[in-house]
Amino acid sequence: MSAGISLLKRTAVEANTIFQRLDGRVKFLYFIWATVLVYIFYDPYLTLAFLIVTLAMAAYAKVFKPIAMTLLIIIVPWIILGVLILALPFGFPWNKTVIGYINVLGYRLPVYLEGLGWGITWPLRISVAISSALFFYLTTNQAKLVATLFKMKVPFKAIYMIIATFQFIPLLFDEANTIIQAQISRGLKTDVGVLQRIKNYLAVVIPLTISALNKVQTRAITLESRGFSAPVKKTFLYEARLTAADWAFLGIMAAVTVFLAWVYVTIGYSPVAHLQWIWA
Amino acid sequence: MAETKEIEMKEISPTGKAIIAVVLIPTIAALNYVGGVIVEALKAPIWGDTWGTMLGTLIGGFWVGAAGGFLYNIIMAFTMWGLPNWVWGFANVAVALITWFLMKMNLTDLKSLKTWAAVIGLFGFVYPAFTTAISIGVFGGGPLWKPIPAAVYAAVLKSTGNFYLANYLQNVSTEIIDKPISYAIAVIIASRIPKRFILAK
Amino acid sequence: MSEPIIKVERLAYSYPRKELVLYDINFEVNKGEVLGIIGPNGAGKSTLCKALNGLVPHFYGGKYGGRVVVAGMEVLEHTVAELSTKVGIVFQDPEEQMSGLALTVWEEVAFGLMMLGFPKEEIVRRVDEAIKQVGLEGFEKRSPFELSGGQQQRLAIATVLAVKPDVLVLDEPTAQLDPIGKFEVFSVIKRLAAEGSTIVVVEHEIEELATFADNILLLDQGRVKAYGPARDVLTQVEKLKSLGVDPPSVTELTYLLNKELGANLEVPITLDEAIKIYAEALGVS
Ligand SMILES: Nc1ncnc2c1ncn2[C@@H]1O[C@H](COP(=O)(O)OP(=O)(O)OP(=O)(O)O)[C@@H](O)[C@H]1O
Ligand SMILES: [Mg+2]
Repeated sequence: MSAGISLLKRTAVEANTIFQRLDGRVKFLYFIWATVLVYIFYDPYLTLAFLIVTLAMAAYAKVFKPIAMTLLIIIVPWIILGVLILALPFGFPWNKTVIGYINVLGYRLPVYLEGLGWGITWPLRISVAISSALFFYLTTNQAKLVATLFKMKVPFKAIYMIIATFQFIPLLFDEANTIIQAQISRGLKTDVGVLQRIKNYLAVVIPLTISALNKVQTRAITLESRGFSAPVKKTFLYEARLTAADWAFLGIMAAVTVFLAWVYVTIGYSPVAHLQWIWA
Repeated sequence: MAETKEIEMKEISPTGKAIIAVVLIPTIAALNYVGGVIVEALKAPIWGDTWGTMLGTLIGGFWVGAAGGFLYNIIMAFTMWGLPNWVWGFANVAVALITWFLMKMNLTDLKSLKTWAAVIGLFGFVYPAFTTAISIGVFGGGPLWKPIPAAVYAAVLKSTGNFYLANYLQNVSTEIIDKPISYAIAVIIASRIPKRFILAK
Repeated sequence: MSEPIIKVERLAYSYPRKELVLYDINFEVNKGEVLGIIGPNGAGKSTLCKALNGLVPHFYGGKYGGRVVVAGMEVLEHTVAELSTKVGIVFQDPEEQMSGLALTVWEEVAFGLMMLGFPKEEIVRRVDEAIKQVGLEGFEKRSPFELSGGQQQRLAIATVLAVKPDVLVLDEPTAQLDPIGKFEVFSVIKRLAAEGSTIVVVEHEIEELATFADNILLLDQGRVKAYGPARDVLTQVEKLKSLGVDPPSVTELTYLLNKELGANLEVPITLDEAIKIYAEALGVS
């Protein structure tokens, strides 16, 4: 659970590799591009290739660990459970092709291609989306993120809301921890019945929320007093500008797009694994 | 004497609400997030990540709740769940819409049976139809990786062979408890905060 | 004599659908002066501060009467954003005042200037200067949320100093700080006062206030109960006590000595003065 928080809690100190220096818009485009492509194709191998490339870039940019952690928590259990239920004869309606048998608790069960392909491909697609998004997020520092969003014509109030959410989460989290510790020292137990656990939850969440809402007013007043609504063009500390490296990266993406378009037209949507669309 | 002359008073209309909403929305989004994390810490039997949206709706109106919930989903999709999950943002908009409807119909009295009937009907059965459409269309459907819903899913699929029904009932099994409890939490909190924080009419 | 920087005439105000919280307030502050505002809880001190930068009435709405003019701008006719270049305001809770957009101390100080659209070079110059003014050099790259309360409050002061407002308004800037934090913040305020800043400060720490305020305004239930040079107001011991405001202890002590024991001492308002007066009275040097 705190893995998520530490992911969101950014620090100003960070690595400075070529990927950190890439323009935020280029990395954002990469994440949209990779995600769309793995959704267009239906092929676990191709999807895996995207995942590996993304993770390799992440490793080079020294942000591999948080991404791998996230995938480990979200995708691995999903694949295990999904494959178990979908590929074995538990009623996945599109199962046709038996590709082998396994023994489960003394039963000999058939393994179906359709359920297996489905159960592996979907989580892998999501993995590509997660890792490319995190790659963008973790290698783009906040000031650059603001500049990037602004260049993408996101209104300033919306930018504020996005960035502020990232800042408020760790603050609220620390406060929640303080409240939980205080309640535990007053005798709150977590190994209790269901109803009591909901009551525990309320005992933490109500003071937390009230304190958070109390702060909203002051914060709004402070923003207003510091010219937040001034009808002028805001100054940003970073200018988003495309460099040669950005153009090179875009060029590679364009070349891969052309190549994959050719693959799609000549071989099809599942060029390596040769899966069939389930609904077809 | 000048001192005794009455001061002439003017009525001024406030401009603060817009900026309060700008701060309230990320606060709601953050509450959704932290609410979900506290659930894990205290092992509460709910998801716990939508009462923020409901609370936002109750105190700030439909737009504040919907925007706060949507923002939460975008940020989660971006950092933790993967891009396609941003479509769950629409589920949060639906949550805000249902909450807003309940509020407009004055169904906020937790002691009334009518409230619970409406809450369970709307959040327990109508809302899962919506989430089922999203989960199949965007994520290919399939079991959730929480044990009880996954068991429901497998059981329904096994006995009826209906993929859609299995997904729907799986979602019903998670929402029918979670959302009414979340709604109760939101209503309780909303009733405890000072009136001047309430922007919604 | 030049025009005062702040001119408040017959100010009256009520929050929407509420009773009057300020009534018939009159005062002036000249350039380089420090005005202290004191009074019991709920007197309307914070509301009065907010009336100086336009939050009252614009942000809250409500009923408004009279006139407030700051640096030549009539508050009623200008937005809070316009007034933000004239009046910088600091509140009591340091954490709540953080913008939510800045990752570092440096960016936090730059925030107001960014919002007001200052050119980048100007921002860099002013931020460095403001950080130096409050003694936060070396903390530029820290997260604002990792600072102590006193440091955070100095940061809040720096964020308004960077805009170079004509008036600095401080609403109980030390109320939530521990003794070290209070000391740090008072040191900054006293230095700013000595360097000629125009300051309006609400403060419960009367002993501290007495050392640097030129004038004091005593507020109770939205009305001015006393206003004038700090010495004149702080030596009205009976009146202050009847409103639940503690005068400086040296003032109260001397007042009691004069009253109960018939001593005839000059009434001090700060410890330094008291030492001098008592030393003379006791014949030591
Ligand atoms: N936003 C608001 N809406 C309505 N009434 C308010 C608001 N803020 C303050 N008040 C009321 O106005 C009155 C004056 O409050 P104010 O905060 O100005 O007093 P104060 O002198 O600063 O008190 P304290 O010493 O507690 O800070 C109080 O009765 C308070 O309840
Ligand atoms: Mg106050």
